[in-house]
Amino acid sequence: MTVLFISLVVLAAVGFYWYGRRRHHQEPGVASFQRHIDALSSERRRESFERVRPPMHDDDYDDETGS
Amino acid sequence: MARDLAIDLGTANTLVYMKGKGIVLNEPSVIALNRQTGEVLATGREAWQMIGRTPGYIVAVRPLRGGAITDFEITERMIRLLLQRVGVSRFTRPKVVICVPSAITEVERRAVTDAARRAGAADAQLIEQPMAAAIGADLPIDEPVGNMVIDIGGGTSETAVISLGGIVALEAVRVGSFDIDAAIQAYVRREHGIAIGERTAEEVKVAIGSASPTEDESQAEVRGRDLMTGLPKTVVLTPEEVRFAIDDVVSSITASVVRCLAKAPPELAQDFLSRGMYLVGGGGLLRGLAQRIEKETNVPVRMSNMPLEAVVMGAGHCIEHYDALKGMFMGARR
Repeated sequence: MTVLFISLVVLAAVGFYWYGRRRHHQEPGVASFQRHIDALSSERRRESFERVRPPMHDDDYDDETGS
Repeated sequence: MARDLAIDLGTANTLVYMKGKGIVLNEPSVIALNRQTGEVLATGREAWQMIGRTPGYIVAVRPLRGGAITDFEITERMIRLLLQRVGVSRFTRPKVVICVPSAITEVERRAVTDAARRAGAADAQLIEQPMAAAIGADLPIDEPVGNMVIDIGGGTSETAVISLGGIVALEAVRVGSFDIDAAIQAYVRREHGIAIGERTAEEVKVAIGSASPTEDESQAEVRGRDLMTGLPKTVVLTPEEVRFAIDDVVSSITASVVRCLAKAPPELAQDFLSRGMYLVGGGGLLRGLAQRIEKETNVPVRMSNMPLEAVVMGAGHCIEHYDALKGMFMGARR
């Protein structure tokens, strides 16, 4: 009976450990993807673009040729 | 402490974005050198004004062709001077994100990063131009929908389908605005027997160039050198002639757009019908180009709000959110 009880406790501990490790391994991927997508959102971009001064335009030469 | 920079190292123009400040430099990618001493005489706009008008000992060159470095040493010197002009010194070495054509080879990629590091950058990362353009054009690329961007630069034309922050399909051709200028030069030489410079050809393109018939078309007087007599001569060009002259180049660009559409997954392809495609880059300003692409693809084409600055603004956003977006840089995905 004691052996069975100890085995169950060990199994549960291993299970928790494995689940914890799995979650721990998954989270960085999920978190970094969320961070990546969040940084590309229109709100973030608008914040960036509004913070900087308007782009310069030159009148002296024609800049319609390319990027 | 140097502020980090984003650079759109284009075949035609170079734009520099400084973190927290915005676009701090926008100049032609031209450098003028003393042929005898190798000394740099001018860069940017000053050097651009010298093209085709220099005495024998001065050479004004564009060190990039087709989006790739053709002269490594000159490009490095040009980048070094550009960085100096925006305040980079040997004691302030910023992180730099450089926009490059997606089709560049491993060797060309290394040439760009090496040139930037040697010019004073602490770290140089590369980002594909269409991706930067889509960010800068404020397309909803964070959503699971198909966004299509066509970036027509001086030496390359790239079309990309972007969804959920990544490139889904891509098509690039090493053809751009300069090829349109070259086609006009070749046509005038062949059909009218006069030689014109690349700046004159560019002026013709801007004045009367078009990819499909437009309203308010007019003719243009072109001055050059008669190939038979060697004397100055003036000829009149019509918009139809220019359209004929540049048709091969325009067809090559539209064909690459069609190939990219064919590569897109069907789920995303249906989004284009409602959302349209977005044109960026100076080449996209060619009259009638949007209509020509629209006619050949049956997909609406819209012009970006900032066609000339979209690429550097997108790279600038990557500099502002460097840690969150570093997975987008070209080396990070390999």
